[in-house]
Amino acid sequence: MELNKSDSGLLLPRRQTAVFSSHLSLCLFCFCWALFCTLSSTPNSETKNCCIQSRDHSPTYCPFVFFFCPVSGLQRCLRRGMKLALKPSYGKLLCPAPMAVITSQASTTFCPPVPARLRVRGWPFSFLPGGSPALAVPVRAFSASASASEFPERVGFLGMGIMGTPMAQNLIKAGCDVTVWNRTKSKCDPLTSLGAKFKPSPEEVAASCDVTFAMLADPESAVEVACGKLGAANGMGPGKGYVDVSTVDGATSKLIGERIKATGALFLEAPVSGSKKPAEDGQLIFLTAGDKALYGSVSSLLDIMGKSSFYLGDVGNGAAMKLVVNMIMGSMMASFSEGLLLSEKVGLDPNVLVEVVSHGAISAPMYKLKGPSMVQSQYPTAFPLKHQQKDMRLALGLAESVSQSTPVAAAANELYKVAKSHGLSDEDFSAVIEALKSKQ
Amino acid sequence: MEVGFLGLGIMGKAMSMNLLKHGFKVTVWNRTLSKCDELVEHGASVGETPAAVVKKCKYTIAMLSDPAAALSVVFEKDGVLEAICGGKGYIDMSTVDAETSTKINEAITAKGGSFLEAPVSGSKKPAEDGQLVILAAGEKALYDEAIPAFDVMGKKSFFLGPVGNGAKMKLVVNMIMGSMMNAFSEGLELADKSGLDPQTLLGVLDLAAIANPMFRLKGPTMIQGNYSPAFPLKHQQKDMRLALALGDENAISMPVAAAANEAFKKARGLGLGDLDFSAVHETVKPLKPASS
Repeated sequence: MELNKSDSGLLLPRRQTAVFSSHLSLCLFCFCWALFCTLSSTPNSETKNCCIQSRDHSPTYCPFVFFFCPVSGLQRCLRRGMKLALKPSYGKLLCPAPMAVITSQASTTFCPPVPARLRVRGWPFSFLPGGSPALAVPVRAFSASASASEFPERVGFLGMGIMGTPMAQNLIKAGCDVTVWNRTKSKCDPLTSLGAKFKPSPEEVAASCDVTFAMLADPESAVEVACGKLGAANGMGPGKGYVDVSTVDGATSKLIGERIKATGALFLEAPVSGSKKPAEDGQLIFLTAGDKALYGSVSSLLDIMGKSSFYLGDVGNGAAMKLVVNMIMGSMMASFSEGLLLSEKVGLDPNVLVEVVSHGAISAPMYKLKGPSMVQSQYPTAFPLKHQQKDMRLALGLAESVSQSTPVAAAANELYKVAKSHGLSDEDFSAVIEALKSKQ
Repeated sequence: MEVGFLGLGIMGKAMSMNLLKHGFKVTVWNRTLSKCDELVEHGASVGETPAAVVKKCKYTIAMLSDPAAALSVVFEKDGVLEAICGGKGYIDMSTVDAETSTKINEAITAKGGSFLEAPVSGSKKPAEDGQLVILAAGEKALYDEAIPAFDVMGKKSFFLGPVGNGAKMKLVVNMIMGSMMNAFSEGLELADKSGLDPQTLLGVLDLAAIANPMFRLKGPTMIQGNYSPAFPLKHQQKDMRLALALGDENAISMPVAAAANEAFKKARGLGLGDLDFSAVHETVKPLKPASS
C-alpha cells in the first residue's frame, strides 16, 4: 500500500481499489465503534459540534463525520478531517486516520492515560478496545523514569546478601548490564545464572562499570569494600559513580564518600527502608544524599528496585534518616513483643491481640506481617536481628552526638542485646520477643 | 431501644450523641449536670442520679475516666446498685483494671442484673464517627443484646470471654500505643536535631512497614507543638500504670513500657496531664517553661 504523508504528519492511504474496500469496512467499524463510544462517553464530550476532548485535551472529530461523507469522496473527507482535527502528537502513532480517531476516543472512555514514555515508543495496546487491564501501569510515587537507552550502561553490584541478591536480580530482569561481586563467590551463582558478569574484587567491578552499588551488612564491611585493599575506590575515577545502599552511621558514610570523591568519581549514600520481600518486589524506599547529579543519573535504576526515593541533601542525611526510622521500628517491635507476651500470660489469645491492633489507630503492616509468626515462636529471617541491633546502637550514637535523651530506644536496644546473647543474631529481628521470655 | 448513659466527657458525649442520631432513646447523667444540656437539645432525657437512670432504662452504658469514677458511680449513694435488678443490664465502657471490673461485675450480678465490660480502642474522633473498636467481655447474652448499640458506636466489636478479659486487652493495646508514641517522639526530635526535616520523616514513615494511622494523624500536630486533647495524657499514663501492674502480677518483663511510663510521668510533672497524650513529645525536648 502506497502511503501519502499529510500535513499533520500522518501516513494516509492513497486511493486504490483494494484499499477502498478495506476502508469501507473500516468506516463501518468506525461507525459502530463511534456509536458505542458516544453512548458511553465521559461528561467531557461536547456533542453539539461533535468535538470530543481526549485525555490530553487535544480535540478530535467524531467519526460520525466520516460516515456522512459520500463514499467516493471518502478519502478526501478523511484527509481533510484529520488535517483539521488531529494534533501532531497523534501523528507519532503510525496508523490509518480512522484508527487514530478510535485511539483517542478509546482513550477517553476506556483506557487509563498511557504514560508518556510508553506512548513515545508507540505502545500498540492503545488500539485495543476496552483494554484497561492491559494498560494498567503501576503508579509509582517516584516518576523520574527513562527509556532503556538512558540507564547507566554498566552497573556493578557489591554484596549478594539478603538484600543485594534480589536488588541485583531486579536490575538484570529489567535489562541492565550487571557485574557482581561477593566475598563468598558462590553467593553470586543465582546472579551469574541470570546473565550477570562476575569479577573477583570490588576494585575490578568498579573499574569495569559506570555505576557501582554496594549493599553490605555494617559499617566495617562497607568501609572495607569501598576503601580496603582491592576496594572499589581503586577502580573509580571521573565519570563513574558509587552508590552505597548499606545502612551505616554518618561518619562512615562521609569517610567512604571522601575516598570515592578523591578519585574524581561521584558518591551517593542511599540506604533503604524495606527488607527482603520489598527488595524482591522492587518496593524499597531509597533515602539518598550526596551528589545530586549522580542521584539524577541512577534514578531509573532506583525506580526498578524501589517504589519511591527521597533526596535529602548532604552526605550523612540519608544515613541519619535511615537510623531514625529503624530506631522507631526497633522500639515498636520491642513494644509489640511485650504486648504479645503480656496478653498470653494473662490468659488472652495473642492472635486476637494482633487482630484487635489491626483495627485500631496503631495498626501497622509490620504487626500484621510478623504478629502471626511471632505467636508461633517462628522468626523467618527477613531482617536479621543483629542488623537491627546494629541500627539501634548507631541511632543511640547519633542521639548521643546531639545530646538527646532516648530512654525507650535505649530500653529496646537492651532487649536486642539480650536476644543476641541467646544466639538469635541471625533470626528475624522479631525474635526479640524471646529476650522477654523467662528461660527454663 | 432505650439506653441510659452515664458520663458525658470527651468520649461519652460523642458516643451518646451517635446513639441519639441513630434513633435510640437516651437518658443521660453526668456528675456536672450542665454537661447534659447539649444532649438534651438533641432529644435526650436527663436522670438526676445514676440510680434514676438505671431505674428508667433496661440497659445502661457507663463511660467514666478511671477506676475510681467507675466504682463511685456503682457503689455510692444514688449509684447504679440501688436500682439494678433482674432484667436490667449494665455495660461499663470505661477503661479500668481487671480487679475493678470484677468487683463491679460481682456487685451487679449479686443483685440479679447482667454485666458486660466493654472498654473501647479509639479516641475522640473515632467516637464521633462511630468508628470505635469495642473489647467486650462478661455476659454473652447481654453482648448479643447490645450489638445494635455497638454497631452505632463502633466499627468492630469483639467478645473476649469472662469479665476481666476486655479490661486486659484494652490495657495491652494502650501499653503498645503509649510505647509507640514515645518511640515516635524520640524519632521526631532526633530527626530535627540531626538537621533533617521532621515532615520528611513523616513522609518516609508513611511509606514504610511501620506506617500507622496514629503517626499519620498526630505527627503534623506534634511537629507544630499542638496538643489539643483527643486522649488526655493523664489517662494514657493511667493505662500504662495499670498495664505495668498487670505485668508485675505475672512477673513479666516490660522494660520498654516501663521507660515509656516514666516519660508520661515526667510529662504529668511538667503540667501536661490534660493535654493530648502526644504531649509526651515535650519530654524529649530540651527543658523549656511548661506550656499548657
